[in-house]
Amino acid sequence: MEIFAVRCPWFVAGPLLGLLVVTLLWSINKPLGALGGYVDTVHWIERPSGAPSWRMLFLLGIVIGGALSALAAGAIQPTFAYGSFTSSIGTTLAREGTILAAAGVLIGYGARLGGGCTSGHGMCGTAMGSPASLVATMTFMGTAVVAANLLAVWIGAAS
Amino acid sequence: MKVAGLLVGMGFGFVLGWSQLTDYDVIRNMLLLRDFDVFLMMGSAVVTAAIAARILRAAGARSLVGGSPIAWSVSRPTRDHVYGSVLFGVGWAISGTCPGPVAAQLGRGQLAALFTLAGIFAGVALHGYLERSTEGTAAPSRKFEVTGMGPGL
Repeated sequence: MEIFAVRCPWFVAGPLLGLLVVTLLWSINKPLGALGGYVDTVHWIERPSGAPSWRMLFLLGIVIGGALSALAAGAIQPTFAYGSFTSSIGTTLAREGTILAAAGVLIGYGARLGGGCTSGHGMCGTAMGSPASLVATMTFMGTAVVAANLLAVWIGAAS
Repeated sequence: MKVAGLLVGMGFGFVLGWSQLTDYDVIRNMLLLRDFDVFLMMGSAVVTAAIAARILRAAGARSLVGGSPIAWSVSRPTRDHVYGSVLFGVGWAISGTCPGPVAAQLGRGQLAALFTLAGIFAGVALHGYLERSTEGTAAPSRKFEVTGMGPGL
């Protein structure tokens, strides 16, 4: 469908995401956050204990929802190409894989230590008025803006 | 509880994909302050959730599953919130993605997500390993909340 092939405007997507936070709160009285799915999955692999948790299913749901969004826009076309990352940083598959995996370790370790990620702290925790979430969000937003700009300067100088 | 988690996750992944938060360059342009749509989107999500959640709580609503009164707890910031978020911010800037959107990337057939996902799982596992290995030797271990809203979730 054509409507799903163009980028959803922020004033539609934002309130929709906010309503999903509240839907989860109203249905099961739990705060929304993607990181929990990773934490529970790691625990589950280390000590398999029956059925997967709701947070693991939430993470699985994001994968399925992503697939549905691609199908609604047209089709799923698997590719290792990753926007301008492929031409600027990850110029070979080995480089792409190594750098993304290393960045992933920073994301996983950092979010776990910091108690949450962009959805858990940035959206849900901030909306609930948690001071820890506000501090975490300002910290990772500020750090990411600085890091992205330094990276852009570095890539520009190297090329 | 599990069905609710799965369905809300599906909605979440769909909106992330539709709004192209799964694109490296959308996140890159946001962080380079060239495109403010993602900031506006996050802001409007926060405002919507903040208002709707308070209406639910004030109305004395109960959860549809379990029937418990809608409530949440908040937590005070600690040093770890800052240290962890600095590391997280660097990883976010390099990869152009974070724990939610990267899962939606995989669903959309963006296979680069496989590398990032492997790294995130490894990072979470590493944290657990280091936490266990320092238990008893350093300060008493703390329970880390996952979403910034207090333990026991």
